[in-house]
Amino acid sequence: MKGRTPFTLYGLLAVMAALAAVASFSGVATTVLLVNLLVFAALAYSINFITGMTGYVSFGHVVFMAIGSYSLAVLVSTYSTSPFEGIALGALLGGLFALGIGAVTLRFRGVYFAIASLVLALAGYNLVLQFPQFGPGGELIFYIPFQPLTVFFAIWGIVVAEIVLTFFVNRGKVGLGIRAIKDEEDAAAAAGVNPMKLKLYVYMLSGLFAGAAGAVFAWSTFGVNASSAFDLTFSLQMLAMILIGGMGTSTGPLLGASIVYLLYYELLTYPRLQGGQFLVVGAAVIVIALFVPDGIVGIIRRKYPSLKPVIE
Amino acid sequence: MPAVEVSNLSKSFGGVQALRGVSLSLGESEVLGLIGPNGSGKSTLLNVIAGVQKPTSGTVKLGGRAISGMRPDAIVKLGVAKTYQIPKPFASMSVRENVAVAALYGRRLRSVGPALEEADRTLAIVGMGDRSDLAAGSLTAQEKKRLELAKAIATGAKVLLLDEVFAGLSSEELRDSIALFRKMHEELRFSALVVEHVMRAVLNVSEGVVVLEEGRVIAAGSPDQIVHDERVVQAYLGSKGVGT
Amino acid sequence: MVASYFLSDPSVLLSDLVFGLLLGCVLAVVAHGLNMIWGVVKVVNIAHGEFIMLGAYGAYFLNLYWGIGPLASAVFDAAIGFLVGYAFYYVFLHRELRGKETVSLQSEMVTLVATFGLSLVISTLALIIFSGNVVGIDYDPGTLLLGPVSVPLGGLYVAVVSILIISGTYLFLERTFIGAAIRAYSQDVTATELIGANPAKVASLATALGFAITMAGGALLTVFISVGINPLMGTLYAPISFVIVVMGGPGKMWGSLAGGLTLGIVFDVLQAVATPQIAFATGFLLLIPVLILRPEGILK
Repeated sequence: MKGRTPFTLYGLLAVMAALAAVASFSGVATTVLLVNLLVFAALAYSINFITGMTGYVSFGHVVFMAIGSYSLAVLVSTYSTSPFEGIALGALLGGLFALGIGAVTLRFRGVYFAIASLVLALAGYNLVLQFPQFGPGGELIFYIPFQPLTVFFAIWGIVVAEIVLTFFVNRGKVGLGIRAIKDEEDAAAAAGVNPMKLKLYVYMLSGLFAGAAGAVFAWSTFGVNASSAFDLTFSLQMLAMILIGGMGTSTGPLLGASIVYLLYYELLTYPRLQGGQFLVVGAAVIVIALFVPDGIVGIIRRKYPSLKPVIE
Repeated sequence: MPAVEVSNLSKSFGGVQALRGVSLSLGESEVLGLIGPNGSGKSTLLNVIAGVQKPTSGTVKLGGRAISGMRPDAIVKLGVAKTYQIPKPFASMSVRENVAVAALYGRRLRSVGPALEEADRTLAIVGMGDRSDLAAGSLTAQEKKRLELAKAIATGAKVLLLDEVFAGLSSEELRDSIALFRKMHEELRFSALVVEHVMRAVLNVSEGVVVLEEGRVIAAGSPDQIVHDERVVQAYLGSKGVGT
Repeated sequence: MVASYFLSDPSVLLSDLVFGLLLGCVLAVVAHGLNMIWGVVKVVNIAHGEFIMLGAYGAYFLNLYWGIGPLASAVFDAAIGFLVGYAFYYVFLHRELRGKETVSLQSEMVTLVATFGLSLVISTLALIIFSGNVVGIDYDPGTLLLGPVSVPLGGLYVAVVSILIISGTYLFLERTFIGAAIRAYSQDVTATELIGANPAKVASLATALGFAITMAGGALLTVFISVGINPLMGTLYAPISFVIVVMGGPGKMWGSLAGGLTLGIVFDVLQAVATPQIAFATGFLLLIPVLILRPEGILK
């Protein structure tokens, strides 16, 4: 645990460097694909902070993504700022909302937290529709130059920050306390851990990064509308990614995001298979949740213990 | 000044009065046994002192400072640690990590390294050094009880609230546990409030005994006085007398 | 706007109130199956809404091919739901619950996520098979005029059936031996064995009953939403059911009705004085103060 060479971190950063190289030296189509992939990876890392680390299932996580999307869309479309300011605002508001919402909902355990997060997302969706400022259907569209590589490096930076943070949070004092909370919250408090403080901390991180990722998502799609910004299947996809990859780990989200993204948006989008991707991902979530709840990283951990330093 | 001073503590759940004006004082390095029939309020008293439950009225003072109403984790950091009657280990973590959590947060250490070293020291003291790499969830029931004790000690607490740590042991295990407890007490000089059903343990480890019945203190004194107290024999020990 | 609504013709107000109460009854029965499973087995089926949807389609097809009315279809739906519930228990819950005294947070998370996956699978299959078109059942027994207040008869029938189902489950749990076993299970799994019942059998029966009620609820719902049957309707009725069950208290049979009526009136009145969006947002957000102010069994 201490003084170990951080192979995992080096490995992940090497993968990220390779992605940057590929994006820089290949065509626009590849760059756009990588942007989308990394948006999903960023979302997966964001939900990993709360659901992966603490076991609190954030069904309504899409709320923070929507906050980020609207932050960027409003700034860029109404105030003509640069998208980077939109990302900064999205991250800030995502983090602040997570603190505010978490202060209330993180008091609820297990299924109550999950359901509270779900109804908040639905309430948020209805409230956005209520405001005419967000346009009919909560739709905001803006026109800015198409710069796939700039978008790529924005989301790339976000994912790198998430990887590094996940790694060090897991290894450090907070990580040990969080794992104790995940196992036995009351006993963690009896050992001196302040559960609320740690849960709020990781929830804030998760809101912040979901906000940033949501902002980039709006940037890459040149707009936002309420029914897709609050689409709960995004929450499911985020959960699916960390579940398939391995909850709470620093490798799992990138692994899971790659698998889910490629399945969902690339391999299964032939007209004949249309709709099939939802079935595949839904079925995969069921099977993995029931039979391998620790995901691919968990399988590797059990089957090849010698690979532990490389994957954790 | 006593380590812990409990004054006129009451606690009710809905209509049920679990504690009715309990007062007691626990001296520095003193071990006080807390006995009484089931439902007499022993566990509730420990929970209220540890901050797990809030008192309805009354106060708990730690070294003269009122701690009643504080959060459990804040109370641990001030030096009061409680074990669970039914152990609650962090099942997916190793024994060493379990104890390290308590050391890290209870002692407000800065980083994981020193906490792990503290965990190793504590595990050696409680005789679980050879178990440190096992997953806590895979321990036997007895080992889990001892892990509870190790976690409480690792927090650096000067006051331990021990909820039936001697229950369910065989005669030999009990002898070993009592010996271990005495050794630890000599080494660490903690104060302890020991809730116990096993009379042999209570009489062997504690300097004083407090008897609760229906949320009230009905007797207090040395173990010798208590076993000869008419009310105690009637209320708690019954006609069977003091055995085991 | 609000003031003018309350100053308007009292018969409009009364009609709205009656409609809100009837809506509340149907929402209650839609949530009741979830209540049963949540209260007894302590597991929340996130795919609850999809089974409501299947119940609604069941009623639709029974009506389309054999001309059976939604009330009668509810009986068929219940029979199917009963079998589906058993299957659901053994596929999704048995491994997690078997031999355990309490549902661990880990098991809770596993079932939450797995049933979330199930909801996606079912709604996707439904989209492929039923197509995304919205369908409805042509069933309108007319309106009852009580003085100035008009009461839709279909809604009234559904409300009566709904209350019958809820009181039926209450009596079943309180007065029968199997009911006593189910109540024992809900309080303490080991107590089930003490009264001589097999915990897995009790839990699977309660799950099957919950599913039967859920799918019957889907059929009853079609009377109310005469043209709203579609593969994605579950995404609305599942969260409504969650709110109702939390409000009423999981496992309290009359809680479904209390929660359903509250939500029915909130939806109905707020839609009249504000907008449907405000009505839905408020209805959903009601869950939060309920969770904070009624923490018994909720916060810890």
